[in-house]
Amino acid sequence: MMKDIARELRAPLSPPLSASFNGRVMAAVRRMPRHSRFRLWSRLTTPRTVTVIPLSWGLLAASLALFAIIGATRAFDDVRTATKPIVTALFPSSRVPEAPQRVQFVLVAPDAKKVAVVGDFNGWDAGHASYQAQHRGGGVWSVTAPVPVGHHRYSFVVDDSVWVADPTAPRVVDNDFGVANSAIVVQEQK
Amino acid sequence: MRLGHSSVVALLFLARAVLAQDPRLAARLDNPTLVAVNAIIDSARVSKLPTAPLVDKALEGAARGRDGATIISAVHQLSVRMGSAKRALATNATPDEIKAAASALDVGVSVRDLARLRAASGKQPVTVPLAVLTDLVGQKVPILTATNVVLQLARSGVKDPEFAAFQRNVRADIDQGADPTVAATTRARGALARNATPTKPSE
Repeated sequence: MMKDIARELRAPLSPPLSASFNGRVMAAVRRMPRHSRFRLWSRLTTPRTVTVIPLSWGLLAASLALFAIIGATRAFDDVRTATKPIVTALFPSSRVPEAPQRVQFVLVAPDAKKVAVVGDFNGWDAGHASYQAQHRGGGVWSVTAPVPVGHHRYSFVVDDSVWVADPTAPRVVDNDFGVANSAIVVQEQK
Repeated sequence: MRLGHSSVVALLFLARAVLAQDPRLAARLDNPTLVAVNAIIDSARVSKLPTAPLVDKALEGAARGRDGATIISAVHQLSVRMGSAKRALATNATPDEIKAAASALDVGVSVRDLARLRAASGKQPVTVPLAVLTDLVGQKVPILTATNVVLQLARSGVKDPEFAAFQRNVRADIDQGADPTVAATTRARGALARNATPTKPSE
């Protein structure tokens, strides 16, 4: 019986192999799972049809539009901030409900050569033009400047180096930096 | 290939994170400090805490010439205090109230007393009372006395302008040499008396 099986296996195939047999075998091999590295490369380089549902395109377009709108809003805010002194000068009576209130800051500093106000409302920028105090005589320095409605911490900077809390305002001891600031609560005028 | 909704959501979050960063921080802080501060701010945003005070704190540190480690620590501590303040004042606290409460916590007022002040004030904002309380403690009025005085004023319905006048009077008294405790309690009695509802004269 073993001899019969061996003879059968050694016998030529009937019918003989077709010319495309080799191609079909290789195509089947290519369809077999491959190593992940080759699979990724194949996904990137093989041309294929991409199907995208319309809702996804809509969401993508909406997100890009939102991105653009937020960017434009920021740019508008920058322009508005930059032109605010000009608008205020041209239209002094214009005021919207949430507009910053004008607050007078006063410091008696007879020996000072320069006094500025820094705080949450101007990014703690001692060089901010709107918050430079003027000497009114007798050692009295003052500036009236816009401050947004809300709770703020602030201080005076004398001669670009000495920080002084407002002696007339509530004090906020700041243990983080080991200093004292002043507090102001600006409320909307009714 | 389907364009997943998750990628769109991720894009939106990325856009929000990029646009949420304050450009002033990048201009004033060195890069390692900037990264750390932005991480704290992002955490605060996730916790629904106001982020402007954190930006302000970092800007203040830079303006005062503090080093990066000090600035990061200060911003982190403020973030922690604002979290405690928000929990004490309840979820509807305004950013100004949270900011003022964080300052009060910094001078030693307890979280429990913040909650008591909130309860005593009813629907009135507690920003000004908290600023007055912080100032009293800064004027060397003992915390217990300062807290009790402000709670009494709040319970009696004293309004913000009266709170401000009370603070100015106490400061003036202390500047003239009065004992801080005596100044605070005496001025509080006056404010309470002025605020008391006039009673009908007995017949």
